Order: sequence, then structure tokens, then C-alpha cells
Amino acid sequence: MSASGPVSGAVAGPARGTEGEHETRSASDTAHGGRWPFWLPVAVLFIGLILTGVLVWISASTYSSNERRLLNLRVKDAAALFSGAFASIQTPLASAAALADATDGDTTKFMQFIGPYTTGKTPTFGSVTLWRLGAGQSGPLATVGAPSELSANPSRAEMFFAHTAATRSRLGVIGLLTQAQPRLGYAFTSPGLTGRYVVYAESRPLPANRRSKFQSSSTFTDLHYALYLGGLQRPEDLLVTDLKTLPMTGQTASDSIPFGSNSFTLIVSARQPLVGSFPQRLPWLIAIVGVLLSIGAALLTLRLIQRRNHAEELAESLEQIADENRRLYSEQRTIAQTLQHALLPEALPKIRGVETGARYEAGVDGVDIGGDWYDLIALDDHRLLLVVGDVSGRGVRAAATMASLRYAIHAYAAQNDPPETILTKLSKLVSVGSTGQLATILCALVDVEAHTLTVTSAGHLPPLLISDGTGTFIQGAVGVPIGVNTGATYTSTAVSTPPAATLLAFTDGLVERRGESIDAGLERLQHAATADHSDLEELLSRLLEELRHDGDDDTAIAGLRWLD
Amino acid sequence: MAGLDGNNIAEVTFDLAEADGNGLRVRITGELDITNVDALESAVGSALARHPGRLILDLSGLRFADSSAIALWVRWSTAVHEIELRDVSPILRRVIDSMGLADTLNVKP
Repeated sequence: MSASGPVSGAVAGPARGTEGEHETRSASDTAHGGRWPFWLPVAVLFIGLILTGVLVWISASTYSSNERRLLNLRVKDAAALFSGAFASIQTPLASAAALADATDGDTTKFMQFIGPYTTGKTPTFGSVTLWRLGAGQSGPLATVGAPSELSANPSRAEMFFAHTAATRSRLGVIGLLTQAQPRLGYAFTSPGLTGRYVVYAESRPLPANRRSKFQSSSTFTDLHYALYLGGLQRPEDLLVTDLKTLPMTGQTASDSIPFGSNSFTLIVSARQPLVGSFPQRLPWLIAIVGVLLSIGAALLTLRLIQRRNHAEELAESLEQIADENRRLYSEQRTIAQTLQHALLPEALPKIRGVETGARYEAGVDGVDIGGDWYDLIALDDHRLLLVVGDVSGRGVRAAATMASLRYAIHAYAAQNDPPETILTKLSKLVSVGSTGQLATILCALVDVEAHTLTVTSAGHLPPLLISDGTGTFIQGAVGVPIGVNTGATYTSTAVSTPPAATLLAFTDGLVERRGESIDAGLERLQHAATADHSDLEELLSRLLEELRHDGDDDTAIAGLRWLD
Repeated sequence: MAGLDGNNIAEVTFDLAEADGNGLRVRITGELDITNVDALESAVGSALARHPGRLILDLSGLRFADSSAIALWVRWSTAVHEIELRDVSPILRRVIDSMGLADTLNVKP
């Protein structure tokens, strides 16, 4: 089915729609522009997920950069802590070197001074040795504490001291990390110009696996750390760490701590997020909530679309029903009018000496057939029967009663029955008790040549006789309407008519108004009819136009005018 | 003869009460025309069958009645022994007179 199918093309059709047409129509209506497409929820989901992704990325990168910033601050703190610790190493060595220089290598004084640094619960050094430098006389003078590892390797010691002297550094650092008992060595050259003495200390042995904990220091409680000698971070340069395995994973920060002729490198990573656990979880939280919201929004959109499309369908079908109703209504109106006119005389008989005319006007809605009718029946070449009647109620039943009464009148008229006999016979045909209907009928026998009228009324309004600008209602005996009493009898009233008189018979639609006496309506008719001197056809048209009030009742009017 | 008041149904209320001599008294208030005359018929119909003696229609509150209402009353008049229309307005009285039904419907002043 094409999405561009025109809707209007199916609406304008013939009055009588067929099944096929209806199907065509609903098919083209499905492509109505008001429907929302079903890809919309997918688009909503897609947009929701993209937004979620962006938010997750922003929060994750914010977290990451904050974490990095904090970690960088923390590594500086930790490095400062190490620097402070190293100062406590340098000071006693410097003092011992100055003492050796001042006493020219007095070993007793040296040992007295440095001894306390190698004993106690947590000695600063594992061993301290006083070295004399100089060609031919180089070598250790005295050692305090454990045997020195470097003393066992004099050539390496020479190189180390030479290097320390060459770099003009007061403090040299060497890592004796490959030995059986790995440790660090520090050498401090005497402050004198000659530099004859070196105070060399070795740390206490480091643990074989280098693992250690600085639990006492709050700086390290939430950090993983690894301290290397030098700047290369080689495994063999590792001095201390809290980790079982290296290198560190995750986000790390490092800082270099200069120390004498050498330096240390401190690498840290966070045990827990430094900015707190919430910012770390926030991206996940956003991701979960965002995905759920996106799915929810997509489902909601889907539901809205379904509802809206359902409402559209309803509106369309209601529109169709309304169209159908309009069509049926107009069809019914057409049927009613067609039937009504079929039940009225096709043409009025032509009688020499008189002009005849008649009108029927349906009620304003025109959906139901009314019960009003008129008839003009030629009896011979100079007499005719003028009939106006009104069956109570509306619809097919009223029309059927009206038709049967009308044809019965034709039959009785053909038998040459006078009006009172016709009505008396009619009263036997209809009974209100069985059909619920009454009919008021005015029957007037007109003798054109004799200028006489014989009028009989079965509960009907009197006819109006107009002559010389004066209108008179022919008030004769009024019998009960047809249907009241099957044994009813009627009497007629005979009047002679002046030359060029006009006779008008009508139903109550012409004169009756709600809340007003019919006498007022009759007076209005009398006035309108006598004021008008136009020909009969015009008179009838103008009376209908001027006198019908709200137009909700149907109206029949028949007229006859003597030409002389 | 039929009065169809546009698409609106005319407003009317009925009050039923028993009357002497196996009778029924019906008070009709409002307007009565082809749009609501069926309601009157169904409201009164069964009670009328139980009280076929006498039907009194109190029309003091009736502002309008069309020919279909009058046809219904005529029909009732054939179903009961005696019918009586009370407090008939002059306008309605004139219509009933013009239809020659004053005696049939036993219109009381």
C-alpha cells in the first residue's frame, strides 16, 4: 500500500457505496498522515543510549582526571616523606666525616660517635665503616655493627668512592642489591679539601622479596607503592614495595627523589579511589540508569504510538460512520421525499372554468414521511372532489394509512358517492384502537358550473373561501376524525360561491404555532390570502413561504379558483 | 399535524394515581408531541390495563399537545369505560373542538 494514497479520493463517491469501495477506502486511510511511525521508539532508544554514553564518558573522564590529580599530589607528599627520612641518614654520616677529618682518623672517637646509630631496637644503619683514601694507604680503618659487604670487595669500593668524589657529591649511594643480603650503601666524604676520609654506611639488610609495609605512616594507608633506586625502575633496582607482583597496574603516579649522587623513584597507585567510591561508581550508575531510562522511554513511545494510532483509527472509523450516517440520512430523506411525492397526485385534473393548484411541503428535517396529503379528483366535466387530509403521526405507517385512505376516496368517488358518504365509509376502514392513528379529512365537492360547494369535515380545519378581497371560513358541521369511531356518520354543508371565488383547503402545518391558538393562525391566513391578488400558483407559493412558521410540520394546501 | 420539535425531545413528566371507580388519574406536565408521546403511552399503558374503569387526564400543567397526543387520548378513550380531560387550556380546547373531539374526549372546563 502506498503511503501517499489520497484519502479524499475515496470520500467523494456515489451515494450508494459498495462493499468494495469501503475496503478501498479503509486501505487508503491506513496511510493517513496522522499516524506515527514505529521506528520512532528505536530512534528514542538510540538517542537515549547516545546521551547515556556521553554522560558516562564525561563522568568517567572527570573521575579519571580528578583521580590523577589527587594521585600526583599524593606522590609528592610521599616523596617529601622519603626526603625527610633520607635527611636522617645524611646527618650522622656528615658529622662522623667531620669528626674523622678533625681528629685525623681517630677510630676510637669515630666508634664512640657512630656506635649508637648501629645499635638499639631500630638502628639507623646496619654497619658504618671509616675509610681512609689515598694512594697506597686506602682501606677501612674501623667498622661498627655488622661486617660491611663493600669491604669484602675493595676494588668496587675504590670505584664507588672515586665516582662519588668525581661527581663532587658529598653523599654517594650504591645499591648492593645482588648480594646475599641486599642492602644500600652510603658514602660521605670528609668535608676537608683533601678528602682523606670517607664514612661509609650500609643499611640493614632489605627483605629478600623487598616487601615491606609503612603501616604507621598515614601517607601510605590508601596507596600501593614501589621505590626504586635510580630512574630506570628495573626489577633489580627495587628497594621496597607493598605489592606481591610488579609492575603496578591501573593508574600510577611517580616522582623522583634526588639523593646525593643518586636518586630514588617512587611509584604509587591508589588502593581505593582517592576521590571516593561514589565518583568511581557514578559512570556505572549513569550507564545503568541511562540504559533503563532509554528503554523505558522507548517503550513509552511505543505505547504512545500505539495509543495514538489506535485513536487515529477510531477517529477515522467514526468519521466513516458519520459519513455513512450522513449518506443514510440523505438517502432516507430522498426516499421519504420520493415516496411522499409518489403518494401525491402526479398531475391535477383540468376542468374547464376553474384553475387548480396544490403544494406539499415536507417538515424541515424531511427524514420521515409525513401524513399530510391533498387530492383533486375530476368526477365529470364540471364537478370535482377536492380533498385535504392529515394522518396523525409520521413514518411509513402514517404514509400507508394515508395512501389507503386516498385510494379509497378515489374508489368511492368513482361510485359517485357524495362527500358525507365517502367519509362515513372511510370511518369503517380505520380504527385508532388497532392502528393508533387518526386522520382528519376535508372533502369538498365542487360544482364548477353551478358555483356550489358541498363540504364535509372529519375533524379537519375549515376551508377558506375568498371573494372580492374577503375571506370566509366555511364553518359547517365537524364530525370526528376518521379512526375515532367506526360507526361515525357525517353531514355536509352546502354553500354557493360568488363569481371568481377562490377556495383554499389546507392542513394545520400552515396555521398552527406552538403556544398560540389556531384562531390566530387562521386569521393570519385569512389576512395573507385576501391581501394577495396574484394568480393561484403564486398565491399558494407565497402562503407557504409566509405562513409556515418553524417548518417542523409538513403542510399540504390545495386551491381552486373559478375563472368566472 | 405531527409536531416535530427539531431534533430535541420535548420535556414532559407524568404522575399516576388511582382514582375512584377502578380509575386512573394521570397528571401530565410539560409539552407532549410526537417525540415523546411513546413515553407517555408506555408509562400509562399497563396501569390503564389494570384500571379500565375511568381515566382522568389532569392537563393543568400541559403547555402543548400535538395531534399525535390527541390521537393517543382518543385511543385510550376506546380502551376505558370513561375518559375525562380536566383543566384543558383554551388553546388545546380550541384544537380539540376543531377536530370535533370534545365529546369523544369528554373535555371538562
